[in-house]
This record gives sequence, structure tokens and C-alpha cells, in this order.
Amino acid sequence: MSQLRIAAVGDVHLGEDLRGRYRSRLSGIEEKADVLLLAGDLTRHGTLEEGKVVAEEFRDLPVPVVAVLGNHDHHSDKPAEIAAMLKDEGISVLHDDSVVLDVKGVRLGVVGGKGFGGGFAGKCASEFGEPEIKAFVNHTKRIADRWRVALKELQADRRVVLSHYSPVNDTLAGEPLEIYPFLGSYLLAEAVDSEGADLILHGHAHMGTEKGLTPGGIRVRNVALPVLGRAYGVYCLGEHGEDPDHC
Amino acid sequence: MEAPQYVAARVQSALAEDDRTHELGVRVDVRGDQLFLRGQVGCEERRELIADVAGEAAPGLVVHNEISVVDVREPGGEERL
Repeated sequence: MSQLRIAAVGDVHLGEDLRGRYRSRLSGIEEKADVLLLAGDLTRHGTLEEGKVVAEEFRDLPVPVVAVLGNHDHHSDKPAEIAAMLKDEGISVLHDDSVVLDVKGVRLGVVGGKGFGGGFAGKCASEFGEPEIKAFVNHTKRIADRWRVALKELQADRRVVLSHYSPVNDTLAGEPLEIYPFLGSYLLAEAVDSEGADLILHGHAHMGTEKGLTPGGIRVRNVALPVLGRAYGVYCLGEHGEDPDHC
Repeated sequence: MEAPQYVAARVQSALAEDDRTHELGVRVDVRGDQLFLRGQVGCEERRELIADVAGEAAPGLVVHNEISVVDVREPGGEERL
């Protein structure tokens, strides 16, 4: 089976003031990667104007593009409209569901969505008490359940989970401990560990760390742009070939 | 005199909620009459707007804008998993 090169970045926070700047870094992406995954917070305020900039920045690339939205993309209550703008430009947008791409004859399955917070095992919120707290925790539980179903039903050779919020606390190192419950939830990792995946990508934690692991041993990468410091990370999935230095 | 922790919290909330900024990742520290801002943003215009909003939320403090602009470097080599 061919190896796959997964390019990924999140938290590009585009707007009119950054129009064209990111696009210039995408030239030649087909030589470095087979697919580009966008891990949410594509805009800053979640406006339709910013959504248009995002759609124009990532359209007509020589590799398929799959995106999820982030909390910033929800701020103006237009996530469905922004997703539709991206889809009109040929960009797949996941909302707790999946897409399967044929890449070099390999079926690459991508499952995911925005994700949500709540905290990490032993230090997290529970569905208890006031309705506001219950709603907060229940939102994450429902998302995790939908990911579990999407992964169970996925028919693919390689499986990648794409999220905005983090499924583990490894990749939050550098963020203040006090805000971890707003940065992710272990329920997301638990769902993915139960069904299996080759890689989980997320953003959201600008001051975090790139590399982590789920309790089940799945590699996690925080691809928030401020963490990467480069236009995108590239992660190679597959059997090791004859040349250990190249995918 | 207002405790500096409350001033810093007010500035942080303003940076998150003001339509000009919506920045969640800015660190705000108050020491005496000095206000320090640290973090990263995408361009110089956003960096300046953060200082404007912070200054309005904490009038009378001297704003030290130590926020840097993210330099989007070329992508590097891939990581084999």
C-alpha cells in the first residue's frame, strides 16, 4: 500500500488583513503532501466575509482539502453558511461525520468535527448539577458518540481524526493548567481509542506542544499555526519504505 | 485602588469579546501602573488593535505591547509515523 503524506494546519484565523498571505505558502504543496487537512479556527470572528477569504485562500489546490470548523468560526452564528462557502469551492467540511478520499489508490478516511471541552480524566466536568453544566458536558458526549459511530462505520485503509479541540492533555503543555477544560476533552480520545485510528490532528491550543499520544497509543499532533511556526506540518502514514528519510 | 488581578482579568475579557480583537491567547500582566501584553498574532494591524483595546479597558496604565507577529515559515520535512 502506498504511503500517504498528510499536510495539516489549524488556527490560521484568516481575514481581509491576511488575504493572499497564506496562499503564497501553499504553492508546491502537491510535491510535499497528498492531502491538506484544516483543523478549525479558519477565521477570527466567524463572519461570512472572513469565510469568503478562507474559501478563496484554499480553493483550487492540486491536493484535496478537508476541514473542520473551530470556536472562532462559530462566533457570528454562521457556521453552516461558512461550511457551505467552503463546500462550494470543493473543500470537504466535516461535522461529526466522515469522508473517504481515494489518494494514490489508498482509501483515506477522515472522521471529525469541531470537538469540544470539558477537561481530562480525573480533572473534568461531569453531567451533574445545573442545566448549564449538564449542557456543556452533554455537548462533548454527543460529539464523542458521533465520532465513535463514524469510526465504526468507516471503510478505509487509513484512518485520520480531524478535530479543533484537543483529545489529550499532552499537546496542551505550555498552556495554563487552569484553562485545560476549555481546550479539550478526554471523551474525544476515548471514542477514537475504542474504534482505532492512525493519527489524530487538532488545533485550538496556540501555546501548546506539537506531539502527544492518546492513552491507547494513537499519535496526536497539535497543528495550530502558532505551535507549528510553519505553513503546515506533514505527517507520513504507511509502511516504512526502502528510504527511511522519505515518505 | 482596584487589585491588579481584576484589571488584568478585565483586559483579558475585553480582548476576547471586543469585535476588533476576539483574541483568546493573549497573556495580560499588571505590575503597578504598567500593563504587559504577550502572545502571537497574524499581522501588525492585529497587534496594534490589541494594544488599543487593552488601553481602553485599563485607562491610566502604561501599555507595553510585547506581542509578536507570527512568521509563517515554509513547511519543513515530513514526520514519519
